[in-house]
Amino acid sequence: MRDNVRGGALTEVTFFVLLSLYEPRHGYAIMQFIEEKTNGRLVLGAGSLYGAIESLCKKGWIALYDDSDVRRREYIVTALGRQIAEQELRRLRELTQIAGEITGG
Amino acid sequence: MTKNVTRFFGGFTEWQARWLNRMADDGWRMIRTGKLTYVFERCAPGQYRYAVEFIADKSQRNAEKYKAFLEDCGYKVWYKNANLNYSIGKVHWRPWAEAGGQISTNRTTFNKELLIVEKENDGKPFELHTTPPDKIAFLKKWRNVWLSYTAFFAFMGAAFLFQTPIASAVFGIIALLSLIPVILYQVRIEKIRTSEHLQE
Repeated sequence: MRDNVRGGALTEVTFFVLLSLYEPRHGYAIMQFIEEKTNGRLVLGAGSLYGAIESLCKKGWIALYDDSDVRRREYIVTALGRQIAEQELRRLRELTQIAGEITGG
Repeated sequence: MTKNVTRFFGGFTEWQARWLNRMADDGWRMIRTGKLTYVFERCAPGQYRYAVEFIADKSQRNAEKYKAFLEDCGYKVWYKNANLNYSIGKVHWRPWAEAGGQISTNRTTFNKELLIVEKENDGKPFELHTTPPDKIAFLKKWRNVWLSYTAFFAFMGAAFLFQTPIASAVFGIIALLSLIPVILYQVRIEKIRTSEHLQE
């Protein structure tokens, strides 16, 4: 995932995965969350989600919540992940505010 | 009622997935697979969908982890061979694989190069890779496999050039043939890159 950490711009997938993990979820529940919240606009394949989870775990933005059940591993957003998601939210708010001012929308 | 079918698709994962989906459309669900065989049982036509995943680049640990993740997503998953090698004690070097997966043996990842993934048909397309960067990464894996063959046979062709010109020519032809999939995968990668830019 090509997230621009310095500029704060995240890919849509990264942002949604972080948001989905404000409460613990396993892989399938993350896919369902994203599909539901976007009304089916963004459907994440299991392979793509696996790559995203691996990458975010390495960055320390999400972590395993409970690995006692190997068949149903749940993940949760970390403090750093929350910080990144909230930073992205501020960036998007600023963007929509500027766009609204210009377009009058 | 079960049905045994003998087929070998090698590394042609898309053909294999297409064939399994055609079987499912005809009311046959895969229940087992061997090196050359597939066992099916009767199901409602179109009840299941299949995808075939390439995992030969992964270490044994990561391959198992990925399989468990897919199962956790509610899919049924089988390991499948892309090779037809019955030897005992096979050791295979995969220069294109991740660290930990470059040396493949019968005890680890050899003959477990693919995963057949099954889901109950919910009317939506069954794709494991959906984001453009992930699709590109997946295609690059295949391109690099073929590229390693091209490099190997080109090297062999060069090595035999002055000693055995005929052998050198044969290796050269194989190198050129293995370059075709490299180009085809690269074209698909570029198409995805272009479509990504067109959306901006």
